[in-house]
Amino acid sequence: MSVLMVKQDMPPTGGYGPVDYRRNLPRRGLSGYSMFGVGVGLMVFGYWRLFRWNRERRRLHIEELEARISLLPLLQAEHDRRTLRMLRENLEEEAVIMKDVGEKMFHTDRWVSPITEELFNLRPREETLRKKFGFLRYV
Amino acid sequence: MDKVNVSSAVLKAAAHHYGSQCDKANKEFMLCRWEEKDPRKCLKEGRKVNECAVNFFRQIKGNCAESFTEYWTCLDYSNLAELRHCRKQQKEFDNCVLEKLGWERPELGDLSKVTKVATSRPLPENPYLSRPRPEPNTPIQAELQPSKHGSRLFFWNW
Repeated sequence: MSVLMVKQDMPPTGGYGPVDYRRNLPRRGLSGYSMFGVGVGLMVFGYWRLFRWNRERRRLHIEELEARISLLPLLQAEHDRRTLRMLRENLEEEAVIMKDVGEKMFHTDRWVSPITEELFNLRPREETLRKKFGFLRYV
Repeated sequence: MDKVNVSSAVLKAAAHHYGSQCDKANKEFMLCRWEEKDPRKCLKEGRKVNECAVNFFRQIKGNCAESFTEYWTCLDYSNLAELRHCRKQQKEFDNCVLEKLGWERPELGDLSKVTKVATSRPLPENPYLSRPRPEPNTPIQAELQPSKHGSRLFFWNW
């Protein structure tokens, strides 16, 4: 062919440089044992944090329980109201149902805690229901 | 007898100080209640408890009303009234009470300690009003011999 210099895509003068064709699998990173150690260490650290928080939670729970313990007038106020209510209603009942009062309910002189039905006997039914199921959220 | 007309958040907010201040009346009432097992017999102590509580709240209202209001409104904000969400207001309230009234907040575990209560009320005998107990069996009169053909429970020993 002619020696005309046509512009062609030729390799650079001197050829290409050396090509690195060898395997490149470097040994890097931690060894297996140390990875295991890191995992175990992380777990131990996590457990330590968990135990500390659990102790703190226990302290908080104790604090809340103590708040409940020291609120004894809960019991007091409720009992006062109950007893007074019962006495008042017994008097009412005596006036209304004069005959049935003679016999006692139990054979002893002990104080028997009244049941809800007995306390709320003469009141509208919804009050009994509210007392019995007021705290209940499910059906 | 006047009721302590406050809501539950208020009570819980003041509970620790209430436990350390009105301690005597509370403990007497509980002792009476537990020994007599009858609420009718403990109305007097109950009245004292109520008075103490009313006094307590009156004192707080008189002295530290604003910080207390902040504290219990903060407690009331959450559903469960957790004490740990309101530490800042609690500290303010504690400081205020300490300055003005000299009350210290009891340490953790102080309110659940078992205490001895001194009362002038005598211990009731027979609070359950039980009938007189039967006599114990008389001691065995005859001579006891070991069983003649060995134990009868040999094969049925479960």
